[in-house]
Amino acid sequence: MKSRTAHDLRTTRWAWKLVVLVLVAALAGSGAPVRAQSSRDRFVLALSGGPDTLDPHGTAATLGFMVMKSLYDTLVEPDDEGKMVPALAESWSVSPDGITWTFKLRPDVRFHHGKTLDATDVKATLERILDPATRSPRRLQIGPIRSVEVVDPLTVRIVLEGRFAPILAALAEGWGAILPADLIARKHDFSTKPVGTGPFTLGEWQRDSFIRLTRFDGYWIKGQTKLREVFIRFVPERAVKVAGVLSGEFDAVDTIDPDDLPRVRAHPGVRIITQLTSLVNVVAVNNSRGPLRDVRVRRALWHAIDRRQVLKTAYGAESVPSSVFMDVTSPYWVDLGDPYPFDPERARRLLSEAGYGAGLTLDLVLPQPYQMHIEAGQLVQAMLAKVGVTARPRVVEWAFWLSRVFGGGEYDLTVIGHTGKLDPDGRLTGWGDPTRNYIRYDNQKVVDLILAGRLISNPEHRKRIYAEVLKIMTGDAMMVILGTTIRYVATGRTVREFRQVYAIDSYDFRKTTK
Amino acid sequence: MPFVVRRLLAVAPTVLAVATVTFFALQVVPGDIAEIMLGVDARQEDLAQLRHELGLDRPLALRYLEWLGHMARGDFGMSISYREPVIRLIRARLPVTVSVAGSAMLLAIVAALPLGVIAARRAWSLVDLAVLAGSQVGLAVPAFWMGILLILGLAAALPIFPLQGYVAFGSNPIEWGRHLFLPALALGTERAAALVRLSRAATLDELHRDYVRTARSKGLVEAYVVRRHVLRNALIPILTVAGLQLGYLMGGAIVIEQVFGLPGLGRLLLHGIYSRDLLVVQGVVITIAVMFALLNLLVDLLYAVVDPRITYD
Repeated sequence: MKSRTAHDLRTTRWAWKLVVLVLVAALAGSGAPVRAQSSRDRFVLALSGGPDTLDPHGTAATLGFMVMKSLYDTLVEPDDEGKMVPALAESWSVSPDGITWTFKLRPDVRFHHGKTLDATDVKATLERILDPATRSPRRLQIGPIRSVEVVDPLTVRIVLEGRFAPILAALAEGWGAILPADLIARKHDFSTKPVGTGPFTLGEWQRDSFIRLTRFDGYWIKGQTKLREVFIRFVPERAVKVAGVLSGEFDAVDTIDPDDLPRVRAHPGVRIITQLTSLVNVVAVNNSRGPLRDVRVRRALWHAIDRRQVLKTAYGAESVPSSVFMDVTSPYWVDLGDPYPFDPERARRLLSEAGYGAGLTLDLVLPQPYQMHIEAGQLVQAMLAKVGVTARPRVVEWAFWLSRVFGGGEYDLTVIGHTGKLDPDGRLTGWGDPTRNYIRYDNQKVVDLILAGRLISNPEHRKRIYAEVLKIMTGDAMMVILGTTIRYVATGRTVREFRQVYAIDSYDFRKTTK
Repeated sequence: MPFVVRRLLAVAPTVLAVATVTFFALQVVPGDIAEIMLGVDARQEDLAQLRHELGLDRPLALRYLEWLGHMARGDFGMSISYREPVIRLIRARLPVTVSVAGSAMLLAIVAALPLGVIAARRAWSLVDLAVLAGSQVGLAVPAFWMGILLILGLAAALPIFPLQGYVAFGSNPIEWGRHLFLPALALGTERAAALVRLSRAATLDELHRDYVRTARSKGLVEAYVVRRHVLRNALIPILTVAGLQLGYLMGGAIVIEQVFGLPGLGRLLLHGIYSRDLLVVQGVVITIAVMFALLNLLVDLLYAVVDPRITYD
């Protein structure tokens, strides 16, 4: 039975070709490229990852706060030098005993849903953070709050259980975001439907893909938000970020890897912004382990490691070396010069003095997601080898690092960066008490001084105390401090005021233009 | 009991076993969600507090039983890191992964079947050798690398396709296609390469059978013989392997979603593992296990469509 002829077959084949052609044309040709639609008041940023939640009290993740800064405001905020300046609170005062903090709120501040900000919102917000049911990972950070009292609609009083100078800085960090009392009472789901007083409202959020922020026209600083829309795309792939900023699809990308710099620099439409981070990068040393208990061995490590070389090679040429455990941008940073200069000969001498002339084997743990720390670790390994110290590198996953290294102290050496804090107490708390820091550093004097610094509100007095703390820590060579690293940000040529908040690195789009 | 119902019932113990293994595996791995949430700011007292509030300090057996109870009621629980019901997170992402894996499979089959048949009909000709060489290359190039090359070539240099992201079919079918094309191509190439070899071998096998000679001797047009007779029989082994490959595609989709910034199950799973968000991992694993089982069932049913001699009762 000949049901089909050759002619039939030819026509069907031809029809198929047509269908395929039409499909390809529809796929490829539909619409102009996205960038053609982007106007001057729409800003596209590529970030490495997105937030888990938009509930500021429900997370401690930096990526979350990077977005949330645009949705919510805090009572106070840091200026470019890290000084606390008024935000939702117009002014504040502290009682002479340092226990009672009174905040005067700015009038006529509106939440996105229309309600006007008053003292009950502040009270409800703080009580929400303190409520165990909220499960806020930042509960203990806002200090020992005993009660929050509404004095009048625009005055709120926070009573502490004891003196706690870092309270102001704690209220300025992302988790200090003020939420409306009426929605808190109704158990509103802030994780996906954020309502704050911030310069932007949530337009659309596609998890793991993008977030679109729309300008809030009722914002309390009139005329400051220039952009109509901020579109944040979550781009985990480094090559895509570079391609996107070069093709003009992204107006900015959060970081450019040093290896990609030459290519990006060569492009006329793109500008590289070189920023100091607020990180303190260190080769952490476990002070409780065998030979590392000996200060001579720890000092030998400093002498053996060419810190400038490590910083330059692994973290970018413009990184700034430092010998103290404080980021160089902090007002509390002190310059101790180079107390243990790169000197392998001296390192060898110190090691043999300590009884390890024949050599020493150490366990070097490197955290997997951080390529630059792994690179730094490899350099450190090579440098230590030259003075007879064998560092056995072990690359571990981040959760493993947090649990076994940071939590369990199961390591000799590790390379890590400590993130910025608005208050020096945040940076230093726990140091000196071997049960409360991961390097098992033990120095009662340091503990006492840090406690004293927490209780004193006079900044000059605090500076002297912290300078003393930093000096003792470096004197003990408790770990090898590398310094503060650099970050390369790429933006379009015309982008102005693409800002990140001092120390906490959240994005502030209020003045950004393109 | 009908075949389909029996098969569906058999899925349940598999899914339970998979989920239980996942549950305990994540307990053995160091690190918990409290540590991840607090990061390098963690203090022992904060950690203990948070663990208590999250219920992580309760006995493992109790947590397992509780989780089983939730599962039995079809409740995937509440994600701690996202602060959202896991089922909602999965529902939002499932269409993305199904779209990617499905369109990759479709591309692979559309490309591989004709190529395989053509190559088989002209075995050891130049065309055949080219197809074989091409499939060798296709097998060797990893999907993520292919993806990056496609992005650099077809999205960045020539702005034909979007760099990143996803648009739901419901909101704009054409944009949906544009966003899916490159990921599907990257993921589908590897599969197509494998399928080309298989369909070539299967066709070659059938072409030498007696029934083909009979059909030809009856004077049927060669193309008709191939399509009506050879392909039908060759499709059985191809279908089996293609079904198995859908499993690989789910795995490959995880990587491809990362490269193309697609908000699918793969990225959800990765996030869940990194953040030790047990309920999220659990939910995604169960979803994938169920999908896998359903796909296998679908392949079994398709046999009967392709070859009427195969029946189920």
